[in-house]
Amino acid sequence: MGLAQMISARAADRRLVQTGYPPRTLLATRLAALGGVTVVVAAVNYGVLWLTISPGAPVLTFVFLVLAGLVYAFLGALVGALLPRLFEGSLVVVFLAMMDAFLSGDSPLAADVPEFVEYFPLYHPKELLQEAMFQGTYTTGDLGFVAGYLLVLLVLVTAVFGVTMRTSGGWSA
Amino acid sequence: MSRTTTAFTIGIKEQARNYVLVALLVVLPVSFITLAFAVTQDVEMPVRTLVDGETVTVMRGMPEVHGVIMTPITSALIAGLAGLFLMREAKDTDGRLAVAGYRARQVITARFGVLAAITLIVTGVSVGVMLVDFQPEHLWWFVAAMLVVSVTYGLIGMLVGAVFDRLAGMWLMLILPMLDIGLFQDPLFIQSEPEWWMKLLPGYWPVRVMVDTGLTTDVDTTLSLVWATGYLLLVAVLTIGVYYRITQEK
Repeated sequence: MGLAQMISARAADRRLVQTGYPPRTLLATRLAALGGVTVVVAAVNYGVLWLTISPGAPVLTFVFLVLAGLVYAFLGALVGALLPRLFEGSLVVVFLAMMDAFLSGDSPLAADVPEFVEYFPLYHPKELLQEAMFQGTYTTGDLGFVAGYLLVLLVLVTAVFGVTMRTSGGWSA
Repeated sequence: MSRTTTAFTIGIKEQARNYVLVALLVVLPVSFITLAFAVTQDVEMPVRTLVDGETVTVMRGMPEVHGVIMTPITSALIAGLAGLFLMREAKDTDGRLAVAGYRARQVITARFGVLAAITLIVTGVSVGVMLVDFQPEHLWWFVAAMLVVSVTYGLIGMLVGAVFDRLAGMWLMLILPMLDIGLFQDPLFIQSEPEWWMKLLPGYWPVRVMVDTGLTTDVDTTLSLVWATGYLLLVAVLTIGVYYRITQEK
Protein backbone atom coordinates (compact mmCIF):
# COMPACT_ATOMS: atom_id res chain seq x y z
CA MET A 1 0.00 0.00 0.00
CA GLY A 2 2.88 2.38 0.80
CA LEU A 3 4.37 1.72 -2.60
CA ALA A 4 1.06 2.03 -4.47
CA GLN A 5 0.17 5.20 -2.56
CA MET A 6 3.43 6.89 -3.52
CA ILE A 7 3.30 5.86 -7.17
CA SER A 8 -0.37 6.44 -7.89
CA ALA A 9 -0.35 9.87 -6.29
CA ARG A 10 2.96 10.98 -7.80
CA ALA A 11 1.66 12.83 -10.86
CA ALA A 12 -1.23 14.45 -8.97
CA ASP A 13 1.07 15.45 -6.10
CA ARG A 14 3.49 17.12 -8.50
CA ARG A 15 0.66 19.24 -9.90
CA LEU A 16 -0.53 20.10 -6.39
CA VAL A 17 3.00 21.22 -5.50
CA GLN A 18 3.08 23.38 -8.62
CA THR A 19 -0.16 25.04 -7.54
CA GLY A 20 1.39 25.90 -4.21
CA TYR A 21 0.77 22.98 -1.86
CA PRO A 22 3.68 22.45 0.54
CA PRO A 23 5.23 18.99 -0.17
CA ARG A 24 5.47 18.24 3.55
CA THR A 25 1.71 18.75 3.96
CA LEU A 26 1.08 16.47 1.01
CA LEU A 27 3.42 13.85 2.38
CA ALA A 28 1.78 14.10 5.79
CA THR A 29 -1.66 13.42 4.28
CA ARG A 30 -0.29 10.48 2.28
CA LEU A 31 1.36 8.99 5.35
CA ALA A 32 -1.74 9.61 7.48
CA ALA A 33 -3.84 7.72 4.95
CA LEU A 34 -1.23 4.98 4.97
CA GLY A 35 -1.38 4.88 8.76
CA GLY A 36 -5.17 4.47 8.61
CA VAL A 37 -4.91 1.60 6.15
CA THR A 38 -2.20 -0.02 8.28
CA VAL A 39 -4.50 0.06 11.34
CA VAL A 40 -7.29 -1.62 9.33
CA VAL A 41 -4.92 -4.28 7.98
CA ALA A 42 -3.52 -4.88 11.47
CA ALA A 43 -7.08 -5.24 12.80
CA VAL A 44 -7.88 -7.90 10.18
CA ASN A 45 -4.63 -9.74 10.96
CA TYR A 46 -5.30 -9.48 14.68
CA GLY A 47 -8.76 -10.96 14.14
CA VAL A 48 -7.35 -13.93 12.23
CA LEU A 49 -4.65 -14.42 14.88
CA TRP A 50 -7.20 -14.20 17.67
CA LEU A 51 -9.23 -17.03 16.13
CA THR A 52 -6.39 -19.46 16.80
CA ILE A 53 -4.35 -17.99 19.69
CA SER A 54 -5.46 -15.89 22.60
CA PRO A 55 -2.85 -13.12 23.10
CA GLY A 56 -1.38 -12.55 26.56
CA ALA A 57 -1.72 -8.76 26.16
CA PRO A 58 -4.34 -8.04 23.46
CA VAL A 59 -3.83 -4.26 23.22
CA LEU A 60 -0.04 -4.52 23.11
CA THR A 61 -0.28 -7.26 20.49
CA PHE A 62 -2.47 -5.07 18.31
CA VAL A 63 -0.22 -2.03 18.74
CA PHE A 64 2.88 -4.06 17.81
CA LEU A 65 1.11 -5.45 14.75
CA VAL A 66 0.38 -1.86 13.72
CA LEU A 67 4.06 -0.96 14.28
CA ALA A 68 5.23 -3.89 12.12
CA GLY A 69 2.78 -2.78 9.42
CA LEU A 70 3.96 0.84 9.65
CA VAL A 71 7.60 -0.17 9.20
CA TYR A 72 6.76 -1.89 5.93
CA ALA A 73 4.31 0.82 4.86
CA PHE A 74 7.12 3.38 5.20
CA LEU A 75 9.57 1.02 3.49
CA GLY A 76 7.07 0.59 0.64
CA ALA A 77 6.66 4.35 0.44
CA LEU A 78 10.43 4.74 0.27
CA VAL A 79 10.73 2.15 -2.50
CA GLY A 80 7.82 3.84 -4.28
CA ALA A 81 9.55 7.20 -4.11
CA LEU A 82 12.88 5.77 -5.34
CA LEU A 83 11.51 3.32 -7.92
CA PRO A 84 8.24 4.74 -9.22
CA ARG A 85 7.16 1.60 -11.13
CA LEU A 86 4.39 -0.46 -9.61
CA PHE A 87 5.43 -3.83 -11.03
CA GLU A 88 9.15 -3.64 -10.31
CA GLY A 89 8.60 -1.88 -6.96
CA SER A 90 6.13 -4.57 -5.90
CA LEU A 91 8.65 -7.28 -6.69
CA VAL A 92 11.29 -5.51 -4.60
CA VAL A 93 8.95 -5.05 -1.61
CA VAL A 94 7.57 -8.59 -1.82
CA PHE A 95 10.98 -10.25 -1.91
CA LEU A 96 12.30 -7.93 0.78
CA ALA A 97 9.37 -8.78 3.05
CA MET A 98 9.63 -12.50 2.29
CA MET A 99 13.32 -12.72 3.05
CA ASP A 100 12.92 -10.51 6.13
CA ALA A 101 10.03 -12.57 7.53
CA PHE A 102 11.90 -15.80 6.78
CA LEU A 103 15.18 -14.76 8.39
CA SER A 104 13.71 -12.81 11.31
CA GLY A 105 11.10 -15.41 12.13
CA ASP A 106 12.83 -17.63 14.75
CA SER A 107 11.96 -20.68 12.65
CA PRO A 108 14.01 -23.91 12.64
CA LEU A 109 14.11 -23.33 8.87
CA ALA A 110 16.14 -20.19 9.52
CA ALA A 111 17.99 -21.02 12.73
CA ASP A 112 21.61 -20.43 11.72
CA VAL A 113 21.20 -16.80 10.74
CA PRO A 114 23.97 -14.19 11.06
CA GLU A 115 23.76 -11.60 13.83
CA PHE A 116 23.05 -8.70 11.47
CA VAL A 117 19.54 -10.13 10.99
CA GLU A 118 18.56 -8.20 14.13
CA TYR A 119 18.87 -5.00 12.08
CA PHE A 120 16.27 -6.26 9.59
CA PRO A 121 12.96 -4.32 9.58
CA LEU A 122 10.82 -7.09 11.04
CA TYR A 123 13.21 -8.48 13.63
CA HIS A 124 12.31 -6.20 16.57
CA PRO A 125 8.59 -5.89 15.75
CA LYS A 126 8.54 -9.70 15.76
CA GLU A 127 10.30 -9.78 19.15
CA LEU A 128 7.77 -7.30 20.56
CA LEU A 129 4.83 -9.21 19.14
CA GLN A 130 6.09 -12.55 20.39
CA GLU A 131 6.61 -11.23 23.92
CA ALA A 132 3.22 -9.52 24.01
CA MET A 133 1.51 -12.65 22.67
CA PHE A 134 3.08 -15.22 24.96
CA GLN A 135 4.17 -13.30 28.07
CA GLY A 136 1.96 -10.23 27.99
CA THR A 137 4.96 -7.89 28.34
CA TYR A 138 7.38 -5.95 26.15
CA THR A 139 11.04 -4.92 26.18
CA THR A 140 11.73 -1.19 26.04
CA GLY A 141 14.89 -1.75 23.99
CA ASP A 142 12.92 -3.46 21.21
CA LEU A 143 10.30 -0.71 21.26
CA GLY A 144 13.00 1.96 21.08
CA PHE A 145 14.61 0.17 18.15
CA VAL A 146 11.32 0.06 16.22
CA ALA A 147 10.64 3.73 17.00
CA GLY A 148 14.13 4.63 15.77
CA TYR A 149 13.62 2.55 12.65
CA LEU A 150 10.35 4.34 11.92
CA LEU A 151 11.96 7.73 12.51
CA VAL A 152 14.86 6.99 10.15
CA LEU A 153 12.44 5.74 7.48
CA LEU A 154 10.28 8.82 7.94
CA VAL A 155 13.29 11.10 7.45
CA LEU A 156 14.34 9.17 4.35
CA VAL A 157 10.82 9.16 2.86
CA THR A 158 10.50 12.90 3.51
CA ALA A 159 13.86 13.61 1.89
CA VAL A 160 13.21 11.45 -1.19
CA PHE A 161 9.65 12.74 -1.53
CA GLY A 162 10.96 16.31 -1.37
CA VAL A 163 13.45 15.63 -4.14
CA THR A 164 10.88 13.93 -6.38
CA MET A 165 8.38 16.76 -5.86
CA ARG A 166 10.89 19.51 -6.56
CA THR A 167 9.43 21.65 -9.33
CA SER A 168 11.96 24.32 -10.25
CA GLY A 169 14.91 24.19 -7.97
CA GLY A 170 13.35 23.97 -4.52
CA TRP A 171 10.29 23.73 -2.31
CA SER A 172 7.45 25.65 -3.84
CA ALA A 173 6.22 26.80 -0.47
CA MET B 1 14.77 -19.05 -41.93
CA SER B 2 11.22 -20.34 -41.38
CA ARG B 3 8.55 -18.15 -39.90
CA THR B 4 8.45 -20.25 -36.72
CA THR B 5 12.20 -19.90 -36.23
CA THR B 6 11.98 -16.14 -36.81
CA ALA B 7 9.18 -15.75 -34.26
CA PHE B 8 11.04 -18.00 -31.80
CA THR B 9 14.29 -16.02 -32.17
CA ILE B 10 12.52 -12.70 -31.71
CA GLY B 11 10.68 -14.12 -28.68
CA ILE B 12 13.95 -15.21 -27.07
CA LYS B 13 15.54 -11.79 -27.72
CA GLU B 14 12.46 -10.12 -26.24
CA GLN B 15 12.74 -12.19 -23.05
CA ALA B 16 16.51 -11.65 -22.83
CA ARG B 17 15.78 -7.89 -22.78
CA ASN B 18 13.25 -8.37 -19.96
CA TYR B 19 15.48 -7.22 -17.12
CA VAL B 20 12.97 -8.29 -14.44
CA LEU B 21 13.17 -11.89 -15.65
CA VAL B 22 16.96 -11.77 -15.94
CA ALA B 23 17.26 -10.25 -12.45
CA LEU B 24 14.99 -12.95 -11.01
CA LEU B 25 17.09 -15.63 -12.69
CA VAL B 26 20.27 -14.22 -11.16
CA VAL B 27 19.00 -13.33 -7.68
CA LEU B 28 16.34 -15.89 -6.76
CA PRO B 29 18.20 -19.23 -7.02
CA VAL B 30 20.99 -18.06 -4.74
CA SER B 31 18.76 -16.19 -2.30
CA PHE B 32 16.22 -19.01 -2.06
CA ILE B 33 18.13 -22.27 -2.53
CA THR B 34 21.61 -21.49 -1.19
CA LEU B 35 20.12 -19.58 1.74
CA ALA B 36 17.80 -22.50 2.57
CA PHE B 37 20.77 -24.87 2.87
CA ALA B 38 22.81 -22.29 4.80
CA VAL B 39 20.39 -21.26 7.51
CA THR B 40 18.22 -24.31 8.19
CA GLN B 41 18.81 -25.97 11.54
CA ASP B 42 20.95 -29.08 11.06
CA VAL B 43 18.70 -31.67 12.71
CA GLU B 44 17.07 -34.87 11.49
CA MET B 45 13.35 -34.80 10.86
CA PRO B 46 10.67 -37.30 9.78
CA VAL B 47 9.76 -37.31 6.08
CA ARG B 48 6.85 -39.30 4.62
CA THR B 49 7.79 -40.89 1.32
CA LEU B 50 7.48 -44.09 -0.70
CA VAL B 51 9.94 -46.91 -0.01
CA ASP B 52 9.38 -50.26 -1.78
CA GLY B 53 5.87 -49.18 -2.70
CA GLU B 54 4.89 -48.44 0.90
CA THR B 55 4.44 -44.97 2.41
CA VAL B 56 6.85 -44.87 5.33
CA THR B 57 8.48 -42.23 7.49
CA VAL B 58 12.25 -41.88 7.15
CA MET B 59 14.59 -39.54 9.01
CA ARG B 60 16.44 -36.98 6.88
CA GLY B 61 18.39 -33.78 7.54
CA MET B 62 16.18 -30.70 7.66
CA PRO B 63 18.51 -28.61 5.40
CA GLU B 64 18.31 -31.30 2.68
CA VAL B 65 14.51 -31.49 2.88
CA HIS B 66 14.22 -27.70 2.86
CA GLY B 67 16.61 -27.45 -0.09
CA VAL B 68 14.71 -30.11 -2.05
CA ILE B 69 11.53 -28.04 -1.63
CA MET B 70 13.05 -24.62 -2.29
CA THR B 71 14.53 -25.74 -5.63
CA PRO B 72 11.18 -26.43 -7.38
CA ILE B 73 9.62 -23.35 -5.71
CA THR B 74 12.32 -21.15 -7.25
CA SER B 75 12.01 -22.75 -10.65
CA ALA B 76 8.19 -22.76 -10.67
CA LEU B 77 8.08 -19.14 -9.56
CA ILE B 78 10.39 -17.86 -12.30
CA ALA B 79 8.84 -20.09 -14.99
CA GLY B 80 5.37 -18.95 -13.91
CA LEU B 81 6.34 -15.29 -14.20
CA ALA B 82 7.95 -15.98 -17.60
CA GLY B 83 4.69 -17.60 -18.76
CA LEU B 84 2.78 -14.57 -17.49
CA PHE B 85 5.03 -12.15 -19.40
CA LEU B 86 4.78 -14.28 -22.55
CA MET B 87 1.00 -14.32 -22.51
CA ARG B 88 0.77 -10.58 -21.85
CA GLU B 89 3.04 -9.92 -24.83
CA ALA B 90 1.16 -12.45 -26.97
CA LYS B 91 -2.11 -10.67 -26.18
CA ASP B 92 -0.65 -7.45 -27.54
CA THR B 93 1.19 -8.71 -30.61
CA ASP B 94 0.35 -12.22 -31.79
CA GLY B 95 -3.00 -11.29 -33.32
CA ARG B 96 -1.04 -9.01 -35.66
CA LEU B 97 1.22 -11.91 -36.67
CA ALA B 98 -1.90 -13.74 -37.86
CA VAL B 99 -2.85 -10.70 -39.93
CA ALA B 100 0.70 -10.70 -41.38
CA GLY B 101 0.17 -14.23 -42.63
CA TYR B 102 1.41 -16.42 -39.80
CA ARG B 103 -0.51 -19.64 -39.24
CA ALA B 104 -1.77 -20.34 -35.73
CA ARG B 105 0.45 -23.42 -35.27
CA GLN B 106 3.56 -21.42 -36.26
CA VAL B 107 2.92 -18.76 -33.64
CA ILE B 108 1.93 -21.34 -31.02
CA THR B 109 5.07 -23.40 -31.68
CA ALA B 110 7.24 -20.28 -31.42
CA ARG B 111 5.63 -18.99 -28.19
CA PHE B 112 5.61 -22.35 -26.46
CA GLY B 113 9.14 -22.95 -27.71
CA VAL B 114 10.23 -19.75 -25.97
CA LEU B 115 8.55 -20.92 -22.76
CA ALA B 116 10.24 -24.32 -23.07
CA ALA B 117 13.65 -22.69 -23.60
CA ILE B 118 13.22 -20.37 -20.61
CA THR B 119 12.05 -23.27 -18.45
CA LEU B 120 15.10 -25.32 -19.43
CA ILE B 121 17.39 -22.45 -18.42
CA VAL B 122 15.52 -21.81 -15.16
CA THR B 123 15.55 -25.51 -14.25
CA GLY B 124 19.22 -25.79 -15.16
CA VAL B 125 20.18 -22.80 -13.02
CA SER B 126 18.04 -23.92 -10.05
CA VAL B 127 19.36 -27.48 -10.08
CA GLY B 128 22.91 -26.21 -10.65
CA VAL B 129 22.69 -23.95 -7.61
CA MET B 130 21.21 -26.81 -5.56
CA LEU B 131 24.04 -29.18 -6.58
CA VAL B 132 26.56 -26.91 -4.84
CA ASP B 133 25.05 -27.95 -1.50
CA PHE B 134 23.19 -31.16 -2.16
CA GLN B 135 23.35 -34.13 -4.53
CA PRO B 136 20.00 -35.93 -5.05
CA GLU B 137 20.11 -39.72 -4.91
CA HIS B 138 18.78 -39.94 -8.49
CA LEU B 139 19.72 -36.73 -10.24
CA TRP B 140 18.03 -37.30 -13.62
CA TRP B 141 14.73 -38.39 -12.12
CA PHE B 142 14.89 -35.31 -9.94
CA VAL B 143 15.62 -33.12 -12.98
CA ALA B 144 12.74 -34.74 -14.91
CA ALA B 145 10.30 -33.90 -12.10
CA MET B 146 11.75 -30.39 -11.91
CA LEU B 147 11.17 -29.88 -15.62
CA VAL B 148 7.59 -31.15 -15.39
CA VAL B 149 6.69 -28.88 -12.45
CA SER B 150 8.44 -25.88 -14.02
CA VAL B 151 6.75 -26.26 -17.41
CA THR B 152 3.40 -26.81 -15.66
CA TYR B 153 3.84 -23.58 -13.72
CA GLY B 154 5.05 -21.79 -16.85
CA LEU B 155 1.80 -22.77 -18.56
CA ILE B 156 -0.23 -21.79 -15.50
CA GLY B 157 1.53 -18.42 -15.69
CA MET B 158 0.31 -18.13 -19.29
CA LEU B 159 -3.24 -18.95 -18.20
CA VAL B 160 -3.04 -16.36 -15.44
CA GLY B 161 -1.68 -13.84 -17.97
CA ALA B 162 -4.72 -14.46 -20.16
CA VAL B 163 -7.04 -13.31 -17.39
CA PHE B 164 -5.08 -10.87 -15.21
CA ASP B 165 -2.79 -7.92 -15.94
CA ARG B 166 0.94 -7.97 -15.16
CA LEU B 167 0.66 -6.77 -11.57
CA ALA B 168 -2.26 -8.94 -10.42
CA GLY B 169 -0.76 -11.86 -12.33
CA MET B 170 2.57 -11.36 -10.62
CA TRP B 171 0.97 -11.53 -7.17
CA LEU B 172 -0.87 -14.71 -8.12
CA MET B 173 2.23 -16.33 -9.58
CA LEU B 174 4.21 -15.49 -6.45
CA ILE B 175 1.59 -16.89 -4.11
CA LEU B 176 0.58 -20.05 -6.01
CA PRO B 177 3.91 -21.94 -6.00
CA MET B 178 4.64 -20.75 -2.45
CA LEU B 179 1.38 -22.18 -1.14
CA ASP B 180 1.33 -25.29 -3.31
CA ILE B 181 4.95 -26.49 -3.16
CA GLY B 182 6.14 -24.56 -0.11
CA LEU B 183 3.25 -25.38 2.18
CA PHE B 184 0.81 -28.05 0.96
CA GLN B 185 3.42 -30.40 -0.56
CA ASP B 186 6.22 -29.66 1.89
CA PRO B 187 6.99 -32.70 4.10
CA LEU B 188 8.22 -30.26 6.76
CA PHE B 189 4.64 -29.04 7.20
CA ILE B 190 2.42 -31.89 5.97
CA GLN B 191 3.46 -34.92 7.97
CA SER B 192 0.32 -37.03 7.57
CA GLU B 193 -1.77 -38.13 4.57
CA PRO B 194 -2.46 -34.97 2.49
CA GLU B 195 -6.06 -33.79 2.12
CA TRP B 196 -7.75 -34.73 -1.19
CA TRP B 197 -7.64 -31.17 -2.51
CA MET B 198 -3.88 -30.91 -1.95
CA LYS B 199 -3.49 -33.79 -4.42
CA LEU B 200 -5.22 -31.73 -7.09
CA LEU B 201 -2.57 -29.01 -6.98
CA PRO B 202 0.10 -28.87 -9.73
CA GLY B 203 2.96 -29.57 -7.33
CA TYR B 204 1.60 -32.77 -5.76
CA TRP B 205 2.90 -35.45 -8.16
CA PRO B 206 6.24 -33.80 -9.12
CA VAL B 207 7.15 -33.04 -5.48
CA ARG B 208 6.43 -36.67 -4.53
CA VAL B 209 8.96 -37.68 -7.17
CA MET B 210 11.49 -35.11 -5.98
CA VAL B 211 11.24 -36.09 -2.32
CA ASP B 212 11.54 -39.78 -3.26
CA THR B 213 14.36 -39.48 -5.79
CA GLY B 214 16.14 -36.71 -3.91
CA LEU B 215 16.15 -38.27 -0.46
CA THR B 216 15.86 -42.07 -0.83
CA THR B 217 18.06 -44.60 -2.60
CA ASP B 218 15.30 -46.37 -4.60
CA VAL B 219 12.98 -44.90 -7.24
CA ASP B 220 9.40 -45.67 -6.19
CA THR B 221 7.54 -42.86 -7.89
CA THR B 222 7.60 -43.72 -11.58
CA LEU B 223 3.81 -43.68 -11.65
CA SER B 224 3.77 -40.27 -9.94
CA LEU B 225 5.94 -38.90 -12.75
CA VAL B 226 3.46 -40.30 -15.26
CA TRP B 227 0.60 -38.58 -13.43
CA ALA B 228 2.62 -35.36 -13.27
CA THR B 229 3.20 -35.53 -17.03
CA GLY B 230 -0.52 -36.19 -17.60
CA TYR B 231 -1.33 -33.11 -15.49
CA LEU B 232 1.16 -31.12 -17.57
CA LEU B 233 -0.43 -32.26 -20.84
CA LEU B 234 -3.88 -31.32 -19.56
CA VAL B 235 -2.69 -27.82 -18.62
CA ALA B 236 -0.89 -27.56 -21.99
CA VAL B 237 -4.06 -28.37 -23.94
CA LEU B 238 -6.01 -25.84 -21.88
CA THR B 239 -3.33 -23.18 -22.38
CA ILE B 240 -3.14 -23.74 -26.16
CA GLY B 241 -6.94 -23.43 -26.33
CA VAL B 242 -6.95 -20.20 -24.32
CA TYR B 243 -3.99 -18.82 -26.27
CA TYR B 244 -5.66 -19.62 -29.60
CA ARG B 245 -8.87 -17.92 -28.49
CA ILE B 246 -7.14 -14.82 -27.14
CA THR B 247 -4.95 -14.20 -30.19
CA GLN B 248 -7.92 -14.78 -32.48
CA GLU B 249 -9.86 -12.02 -30.72
CA LYS B 250 -7.38 -9.38 -31.91
